[in-house]
Amino acid sequence: MNCEEIKNLMMGYIDGELSDEQKSLVEKHIEECEKCRDEYKSFVRIKEVTEDMRLADLKEDIWAGYWKGVYKRIERGAGWIFLSIGAIILLAFGMFEFIKSIIFDPSLSLIVKIGIFSLTLGVVILLVSILRERLFAFKKERYRDIER
Amino acid sequence: MKKERSLEYEDEKLILLTQKGKMKAFEILVNRYKKNAYFIALGLVGNSEDAYDLSQDAFVKVYRSINKYNGTSKFFPWFYTILTNLCKNHLKRQNVKKRYLSQETERQKLNSEAQNSSNSEEKLEKLALKEKLLEEIEKLPFKFKEIIVLKHFRDLSYKEISEVLEIPIGSVMSRLYYARKKLKESLKDFRE
Ligand SMILES: [Zn+2]
Repeated sequence: MNCEEIKNLMMGYIDGELSDEQKSLVEKHIEECEKCRDEYKSFVRIKEVTEDMRLADLKEDIWAGYWKGVYKRIERGAGWIFLSIGAIILLAFGMFEFIKSIIFDPSLSLIVKIGIFSLTLGVVILLVSILRERLFAFKKERYRDIER
Repeated sequence: MKKERSLEYEDEKLILLTQKGKMKAFEILVNRYKKNAYFIALGLVGNSEDAYDLSQDAFVKVYRSINKYNGTSKFFPWFYTILTNLCKNHLKRQNVKKRYLSQETERQKLNSEAQNSSNSEEKLEKLALKEKLLEEIEKLPFKFKEIIVLKHFRDLSYKEISEVLEIPIGSVMSRLYYARKKLKESLKDFRE
């Protein structure tokens, strides 16, 4: 066993993942090789320091409300999807009818038709943009469930 | 792996039930993995509000694509991929400079720890070392950061890590070696 081969096994040794046979390979090498022995010692130190290093837990009531939060998101997501589909269908239908009536109206000049057409398009684009913004704002509001 | 087993049902069975519209089954699944999800996200993004949010997002995403699950792989590795992708995107978006320890909660925790301990020099030194270590973990490239989070913060076995990351155990060890070596080097100047 050379130093290169012992590196991975050293990890297993520290984490208690080796068979007895592998363990004795590591022990034998560490005894003979000063470089690896030093390295081993500092790895052990890192392991020790992180041992009791736990990330801060949340309060019990926040954990209790976790599922409710997930459920709300699923439900609201579905709500928004249906709402958007409905809005798009109605909007498209309305637009279609409106444009049809303009195109076939002989009393309007071409330039007025283009003007109205462009106005309608503008309104639709703005509506879509506002809807998107609203969706985004909704996403941000979800932080309410967390205590600050 | 720390699972909260509330019923005898296997994950895969619960997904099957969810696919049939049983919301209760999905609730059990969420409760089983919520802590893992939250703490992994916390380890990766270093901010508790974002971690909570991202972990819930991951469950919502899983629910939305539940019909794509065909049972050929285990639930948790599948979930883990979704969760870490969300975390990666979040980190990219934020170009995060927030630190674990700029977090109120973490600071408070360390401070109270410091007061509870009899303020012996050794304890204080260990505390400072912890702080430095967290900082260094945050700086690691993603694939080394995640292996530290899984091993040190969630205490998964090599076998579990290899399943979750879908890499051989040899790679688990070599990634751990590299990650720890990086940490070790950064702590060198700390001791002086
Ligand atoms: Zn050696």
